[in-house]
Amino acid sequence: MSEYTVVGQTVARVDAVEKVTGAAQYGADVHPPGMLYGKLVRSKHAHANIRSIDTSEAEKLPGVRAIITQDDVPSGRRVFATDKVLYLGEPLAAVAATDPDIAEEAAELIKIDYEVLPVVQDVMESIKPSAPRLHGDDTKDGPNRREISGQIRKLSRDKENDHSGEISKLEAELEAYPDEVYYNISAESHTEAGDVEKGFAESDVVVEDTYVIPRVHQTYMEPHVSVASADSSGKVTVWASTQGPFAIRSGIAGTLGIPLTQINVIGTTMGGGFGGRFGVIITHVPAVLLSQKTGRPVRVQMTREEEFTDGRPAPGCVIKLKTGATNDGRILAREALAFWDSGSVSGASIGSTIRVRGVYKIPNLKISAYGVHTNKSGTAAYRAPGAPQAIFAGESQLDEIAERIGMDPVKFRLMNMREEGDTVPAGGEEPKVGYKETLEAVADAAGWWDREAGENQGWGVAVGDWTNGCGPGGVYVSVHEDGSARIFHGSMDITGTDTAISQIIAEILTVPYESVTIRRGDTDSAPYSTGSGGSVVTFTMGNTAKLAAEDAHRRVLELASERLNTNVDNLELKDGEVHIISAEPPKSISLGELAAYSLSTTGGPIVGKGSFARQASTPALAAQIAKVEVDPSTGRTRVLKLVASQDVGFAINPMAVEGQIEGGTVQGYAWAMMEEMQYDENGNVNPGFVDYRVPTSADLPTVESVIVEVPAPNGPYGAKGVGEPPITPTLATMANAVKDAIGVRITELPIKPEKVVQALKSNGHSV
Amino acid sequence: MKSFEFFEPTTLAEASRLFAEEHAQLLAGGTDLVIGMKALTETPQSVISLQKIPGLAGITTETDNSISIGATTKVREVELSADIQQHHTALAEGAAEIGSIQIRNLATIGGNIAHASPAADTVAGLLVADAQVDIASADGERTVPINELFTGPGQTVLTPGEIITRFRLPSPASGSHYIKHKIREVMDLAFIGVAAAVNLDNGTITDARIGLAAVAPTPIRATEAEDLLKGNAPTPALLEQAGEAAAAASSPISDLRCSAEHRREMVDVLTRQTLQQALERASG
Repeated sequence: MSEYTVVGQTVARVDAVEKVTGAAQYGADVHPPGMLYGKLVRSKHAHANIRSIDTSEAEKLPGVRAIITQDDVPSGRRVFATDKVLYLGEPLAAVAATDPDIAEEAAELIKIDYEVLPVVQDVMESIKPSAPRLHGDDTKDGPNRREISGQIRKLSRDKENDHSGEISKLEAELEAYPDEVYYNISAESHTEAGDVEKGFAESDVVVEDTYVIPRVHQTYMEPHVSVASADSSGKVTVWASTQGPFAIRSGIAGTLGIPLTQINVIGTTMGGGFGGRFGVIITHVPAVLLSQKTGRPVRVQMTREEEFTDGRPAPGCVIKLKTGATNDGRILAREALAFWDSGSVSGASIGSTIRVRGVYKIPNLKISAYGVHTNKSGTAAYRAPGAPQAIFAGESQLDEIAERIGMDPVKFRLMNMREEGDTVPAGGEEPKVGYKETLEAVADAAGWWDREAGENQGWGVAVGDWTNGCGPGGVYVSVHEDGSARIFHGSMDITGTDTAISQIIAEILTVPYESVTIRRGDTDSAPYSTGSGGSVVTFTMGNTAKLAAEDAHRRVLELASERLNTNVDNLELKDGEVHIISAEPPKSISLGELAAYSLSTTGGPIVGKGSFARQASTPALAAQIAKVEVDPSTGRTRVLKLVASQDVGFAINPMAVEGQIEGGTVQGYAWAMMEEMQYDENGNVNPGFVDYRVPTSADLPTVESVIVEVPAPNGPYGAKGVGEPPITPTLATMANAVKDAIGVRITELPIKPEKVVQALKSNGHSV
Repeated sequence: MKSFEFFEPTTLAEASRLFAEEHAQLLAGGTDLVIGMKALTETPQSVISLQKIPGLAGITTETDNSISIGATTKVREVELSADIQQHHTALAEGAAEIGSIQIRNLATIGGNIAHASPAADTVAGLLVADAQVDIASADGERTVPINELFTGPGQTVLTPGEIITRFRLPSPASGSHYIKHKIREVMDLAFIGVAAAVNLDNGTITDARIGLAAVAPTPIRATEAEDLLKGNAPTPALLEQAGEAAAAASSPISDLRCSAEHRREMVDVLTRQTLQQALERASG
């Protein structure tokens, strides 16, 4: 029996009724009087110089109220392309009209004169000297070449000792990498711990492979939408479907030079975010510009096709990975060289390449990661940004090592997992995390230890780690005369976080969950709140809510002490009433009575305030096991079993946590098996759900979730962020299961039937 | 969507007269047309609904088990018809592969065929049923065998004003089956579709029909493969030859879904598997 009464219990979400009845207001439901419809005018080429933009025909179309280009951006910050476009669908202008069809027709009437340029879509082509340069001369030396040259220079400077032997050895090494100069580089990141060369030299088994992970879209159900209304005083109101209203406020202020508090951002109910709903430029800024120009509210809403061509999806990448281990199962060294497809701008999560280290004691680690430009839209976060890609490589290769040394994949992982106090390669000391507990839990739940596989069936396991973020937040809680509590805050509800916040307040004020209500303010009214991404909300706002409730709790006891004529130390709040501890006969006063009494006191009403910004987070682990069956004749894979465990610290709402585990696992499955944004020299070629496949419930059995609770020291009740971890291991889980089923390793996702058939043929099977 | 004029004629003659005009489109279930209009790939100036014309929908079975399916019969009805499930299993299975239940409750079999997509899910089943397509216009009626209906992707022999009214399926084969090669379990388009229908007499294949979708500019019959089978006992070696012959008859393209090579290989594999299943049904 838990010591808690509300947290740790499954309760209905606070927004269940409004979601189910359709009463929830999404961005596209906002329709202020006089609203115009905005439409972005987009490039029809993936790479081209713009000779001219002629809006004259479009301006003549009845119903068109404004057409804007970069010339209309007073701050000069790039909102629209001017002289050059770098991807298909890049915005060049925007139209506002009285009707969406007129806006669309006007957009088509704008004449753009293109000088088409050569296109590069593949990162491994883009880094070559022959590739078209997207941004002038973004060139980097390769890691080996650069570092070796540095060492040679260093050794040559040391005149006292003769290093000629070492130098000539290094020069020979340098010769081996004559071409490692990379072009079209947007960013780079390098990490090193120990000495990988030494580690590989001491290894009995060294495996090297190249892993290719496609770019995928977050595929939230609600496409990007904003409604902006600028009034004559310069005040701007934006209804935004966003994960971070405060980030949108500062983003609009910075981009358009509008004073921060002249902008009010109202977050509408979010139709899914997954990290993709932070971008300010995509629809919010054009909507504001169009409203400023027309003096009328303007809605800019993307179509699904626009989502694919001009959304900010997760980057694809190519990871060359090398791992060395001893025959008795110790991992000694790992080296990664990663090229992330950053698209037309920088911003791919290249730093996440570090996730190839996993949760293992790898004494020697070396990572080099590059962001590479291609003719695609920029990228953004997607559920544990960068981790699924890196962990796919890391966990796929672990299984190859396990196989070569003849060790069970679960035992191999357990043996190498870090424990509390161990050194994290390139990262400090390991806190207490349930790595082994989580992996053991999934193995037990899935029946790993006595698993059976029929013909063409296989089992796969993988683990993925992630640490939740943390950020600033503020919460107020008021207690009313009827004994109920109301919460006021400004963070967007994502995955049931409003529910978790309400549970925490109810727990501390010892009132039923049903008597707590929660209201969200806009950026004009609510205290600052960090964006709802990075698994931060329950950690951050949970801590904030706790502080607010504790503040209210203090005031409650203070009031009770006045009413009951006793010191606060003699009082306890229980079941919505303050009692004098061990009083005989019992003496108590209810929260409602205290709230009513408070209105005539000097100290005033019961208002608790919580304000919080930073505390160290603790890593979380997701461990998964899949059983699959592959049809070798057609290459189709069927999932027979999918079990997912996760160290969540403490499950404030177990059903919501299970929902997160299931959702993340299914998204990981989809990335492994079918999702892939495809490009050719014209740009994205599958901008819709016909050829960009997301799974339906018919593709998977029910994901079996296993909750593991190893508390995080700084989390509310020990809770960790739960949203992101579950997607991290699934790509590798699936690839490892397919390998076990057919004996062939697929290193390039997604694992489509054609790839399986090809892999089997190259392995000597006939179809 | 561009604006358009909307007509709801009550007779075929009136519908045909309207449809003979330029830039006119027929509306049955609308599951292809409306999407195309929203995407501006279809910009008709007039849309003619078939909804109010009596007698265009429904399935009737004759005493010789021949079946007639009205053009505006919902795909879901074809899927669930006990007679079609029994006598033209491949067609019922193909109908069940289209979109979702909601889509199948709107989409019509006539629309699925008239749209002339090489990947249509009902077409392979109609091919192996030897369906006869009844066509009406203001000038009269004619009948075209289904394998002569298509001339290219989105192209048919229909002339302006001609409307498909019904599919007539002669007496059935004793076993048939349809396999769709896809990635997603439901709501996917056919990478390829293969249907087979066979008659068995004392262990000898007396008749065999193989229909292929999405492996050529039009849906096709694999006649060489059919000829190999007829008059022979079904052996693994024979089915293998039939698979190879069907693959040889295909002329697939490479596109974003898969390569031509994979499609051709899958014609071979799935022809064998489809035949196997059809033969089991025929002997069962």
